[in-house]
Amino acid sequence: MRRDPTVGRLLTRSFAVLVALIVCSGVAEMTTVLVQHRVVRELSTHVQPLELANARLRAVLGDAQRGLRGYLLTGDGQVLDTYLVARSEYTQASLNLQGLATAAEEPAVEAQLARADVWWALAEQQRRAPPRSDDAADYVTEGKLLFQAFVSENEAFDRALARRVATLQRRSSWLGGATVVMVLVLTLVAAAAAGIMALVTTRRITRPLGGVVRVLDERGAGRLDARADTGRGPTEIRAVAAAVNAMADERERIRAAERDVARLRSEVRELGYRIRAHLRVRDAIGEAIRGLAGTMNADHVLVRMAPGQTDVPQHASLGDEHVDGRLAALAACDVGWLSGGDVWTTDDAAPAGDVQPPEAEIRACAEVGAEAVLTVAVSVGEECLGALTLLRDHGPAFTPVDVRLVEVVAADLGRGVHLARLYEREQHLVARLQELDTAKTDFMSTVSHELRTPLTSISGYVELLLDAEAGELNAPQGKMLDVIGRNTRRLRDLIEEMLILSKIESGAFSTSREPVDLASLVEHAVEVIAPAAAKAEVTLHIAVDGPLPLHADPDQLDRVLMNLLANAVKFTSGGGEVRVTAHRDGTEIVLVVADTGMGIPAAEQKALFTRFFRASNAVRQAVPGTGLGLAIVSTVVDNHDGHIEVQSTEGAGTTFTIRLPAA
Amino acid sequence: MAVTVVLVADDDADIRDLVAFKLEQSGLEVIAVEDGQAALEQAKAHRPTLAVLDVSMPGLSGIDVCRMLRAEPATAGMLIIMLTARVQEQDVEGGFSAGADDYVTKPFSPRELVSRIQALLSRARA
Repeated sequence: MRRDPTVGRLLTRSFAVLVALIVCSGVAEMTTVLVQHRVVRELSTHVQPLELANARLRAVLGDAQRGLRGYLLTGDGQVLDTYLVARSEYTQASLNLQGLATAAEEPAVEAQLARADVWWALAEQQRRAPPRSDDAADYVTEGKLLFQAFVSENEAFDRALARRVATLQRRSSWLGGATVVMVLVLTLVAAAAAGIMALVTTRRITRPLGGVVRVLDERGAGRLDARADTGRGPTEIRAVAAAVNAMADERERIRAAERDVARLRSEVRELGYRIRAHLRVRDAIGEAIRGLAGTMNADHVLVRMAPGQTDVPQHASLGDEHVDGRLAALAACDVGWLSGGDVWTTDDAAPAGDVQPPEAEIRACAEVGAEAVLTVAVSVGEECLGALTLLRDHGPAFTPVDVRLVEVVAADLGRGVHLARLYEREQHLVARLQELDTAKTDFMSTVSHELRTPLTSISGYVELLLDAEAGELNAPQGKMLDVIGRNTRRLRDLIEEMLILSKIESGAFSTSREPVDLASLVEHAVEVIAPAAAKAEVTLHIAVDGPLPLHADPDQLDRVLMNLLANAVKFTSGGGEVRVTAHRDGTEIVLVVADTGMGIPAAEQKALFTRFFRASNAVRQAVPGTGLGLAIVSTVVDNHDGHIEVQSTEGAGTTFTIRLPAA
Repeated sequence: MAVTVVLVADDDADIRDLVAFKLEQSGLEVIAVEDGQAALEQAKAHRPTLAVLDVSMPGLSGIDVCRMLRAEPATAGMLIIMLTARVQEQDVEGGFSAGADDYVTKPFSPRELVSRIQALLSRARA
């Protein structure tokens, strides 16, 4: 099986090769040094002393030969001393040479010494021969031959030694050169190996690593499905790639989980909207139960309402609004132990609230047999309206995210229930108000009918009497009947205006708005009032800058005009003036009715538009009126989002200014 | 010239008498009845030229009577004035759609009623 290459192994191998090369180079150099050292030592401690000893021996023997020959030729005893000294030194020199010679040199040394010994034996015979004799001369000739033999041996040995020196020096020099070449080669090989290994390592490490880095860059740029190749490169890089992939997978898993949570959140938010969209408490609860069972994977969802919430179902569970047998005990448990915002779950790991349910609740939960139970208070502000309980028969436990989401739904349910209840109450109130309004309208209608019928009799008979249909009346009788007639009319007006005011106030006309031209309404009203004005000798001045479009109820506006004009004429004495102007002012239509009549006392102007109010000067002067006309005017103007104001000086006149939004 | 006969139907005796008195004073012959049923019977029996019908009567209302008179060929051409105590427009419209020629709102002036009747009669003769 092929072992996976690792960066470490790769580097180890590379360095091992390098170290081996360096060691080789070192060993070669060391060997060379050692060999050279030995050569030098052999030269200095052996060969050169041997040469010296050899030369010494020759010198000693030379001295002896020269001394002896001199003595034999001259007979000078002093010359013989040289011989004697040499002879005494010879032993030392020969021993020295023998001591230095190795076994290989022994034969050459011994041969030389044997020659020397032969010469020495002849030399002793010579020395005894008388000097300057023929014998002596013969000895000299013979000695010379023997000495020559010694010298040739000596020189042969010296040459051998010189050859030895040359050999050693040559070897040393060759070794040095070879070492230089070898070190050079090894260095080159090491450099090449290092370069190749660096390249190989780089390729093996940086390429796969580059791949991993690219994957990281791609992920950074948003390509989240990018994964590193774990089949390439050394083990460490594969491990890094695997770690990167594992991180990416983990990231992916977290993102998936986050997406899940986000989806849940959005579902819960949608559920919240749906819950709050319901206008009936029952529907809101049903929506919460259905939605939670699906979203939170709950096998049962139970909603219990707090005691006192009798206008809503006490509990409901998944499927339908019947609580099945298993949940009955839990459904019967009171939720008074919860207060606004409380949470309780059976899972110890979950962030339990600081509430502890009563024993009965815990027992009931156990009876259901669900593995996970989560109860969250359904509340509005601090007020606990009820409890929302989720049960999972076979787990899993509710996570903190679950708890948080259920809390959101519970909060929405709380608001939904609260709003639905408000809406239901409001609906109830509206229905009740509508009933009251209908009753009032019926009442007004009945009253008006019941009042009109007797009024018809009274006014009709008064008219008959005044018309003398039943015989002539005397003056006091006529006057009295006039009073009756006047008050009958007043009563009739009162009834009419009360009816009108009641209708206007109840908004019965508010739906009948249509495009209206105030200019034509004013024209019409002026036409109607003109006879009365003429009769009272009041001059009418009209200045209408039409058209003046309004979106209004023409009947109501007509009533406003009639009331204002009739008042103006009524309160203005003969010779006075009534001025009616209408024009547009930006987005408003402005109507002004001004008279030069009796005016209204300043202190009473505030109360002018209240019902049944009549100015004290009008009452004093017995000007007829019901006190409802201006109340009607003010109500109509309000109904049309308009504004009315009055300026009046007692005895000088009154000006009403009405501003209405233009169409 | 034949005397014009007017049928007056009102459940309120005082008003009935008032109207009857005023119409008789104006030279008309009056048949006064107190409810819708009687009005229908008298209308069929005497074929009056004109009927003054109160809208709100127990049993058959004035509008019902008006509709029935119009539906009957014998009485379809009769002039009809409604007396109404209501000012609601739907009552007035109901009266006209049932076939009334005119209407007078209570409380009314007897003089005005007579002038309306005479106006209708003169228009019918013309």
